[in-house]
Amino acid sequence: MNMSLFAAASIGTGVMMIVAAVAALIVKKLISAIIIVGFVSLSASLLFLLMDAPDVAITEASIGAAISTVIFLWGRGKIGGEQ
Amino acid sequence: MIRTIVGLAIVLILMAILITVVDDYTVPSALSGVGESYTETGVEDTGSVNLVTAVVVAYRGLDTLGEVVVLFSASTAVVLILTLIPIGSGPTPPSSIVSFTAGILPSAIILFGIYIITHGHLSPGGGFPGGAVVASAFLLVMLGSNTVPGKSKFLSSIESLAGLTFGLLGFWGMFAAGQFLNNLVLPAGSPGRIISAGIIPLISLAIGAKVASELSGIFSSYRKAGGEK
Repeated sequence: MNMSLFAAASIGTGVMMIVAAVAALIVKKLISAIIIVGFVSLSASLLFLLMDAPDVAITEASIGAAISTVIFLWGRGKIGGEQ
Repeated sequence: MIRTIVGLAIVLILMAILITVVDDYTVPSALSGVGESYTETGVEDTGSVNLVTAVVVAYRGLDTLGEVVVLFSASTAVVLILTLIPIGSGPTPPSSIVSFTAGILPSAIILFGIYIITHGHLSPGGGFPGGAVVASAFLLVMLGSNTVPGKSKFLSSIESLAGLTFGLLGFWGMFAAGQFLNNLVLPAGSPGRIISAGIIPLISLAIGAKVASELSGIFSSYRKAGGEK
């Protein structure tokens, strides 16, 4: 991958992550916030992949994006929905 | 409203700290001393083509053992809390999309996870990522069914056996080569082959089994406590 394309992809992913992270704070519904945090994790794993760290990207994608999102959703169920 | 403002303020403060920290950061043009030594002699030292796994399992094997202990205590605490305080209702039936997907995908995901675990010394991956991938397949199975998982001695036996294997491999290195977790008590073989790199594949296997069974144990205790609504 040539340098400017790499930089553009990294910066684009980073900006997307920041916007999503702020959105997770602002949105009203807890379930939307959880899904957005999952999206931030997935973007982070993409960023790791762009930075030549596939080992970390695999871990982030499975733990950060999949497992912790589901754990948060189950936790939301346990505290009784939108509170 | 106050929560949002406080959250945004914390984010802004963290951003300011981050900016001041990375402001005068320049990308280093050469590797640091220890990094250079790893890249130069890593393959000879450990026989592992994937240097990340060589560092995680061989050079810093003791740290990985500590990490496994941390994960073990965390999962024990989660299971304990969820057993002591059972709140919430039981699992609701999944939608047809989820149950259909959960019928097809998990076997492929498990196969991919096993590939990541067993090829940790050859391609990106290793015990921890592979174990997490296998566990996410079990998670999908649990999401796709509306039954509560029963009591399973199998999971905890796998977990204990894997932890024991890790420790025993460490002690083997201590007695055979005078160093805890010495990698080359088994021959390094020719780098790039599936059976090579000393005890790295065995330790990857142990870590993978332990991580997968521990995370699955956490999921099933959530399920039993009626976590999903």
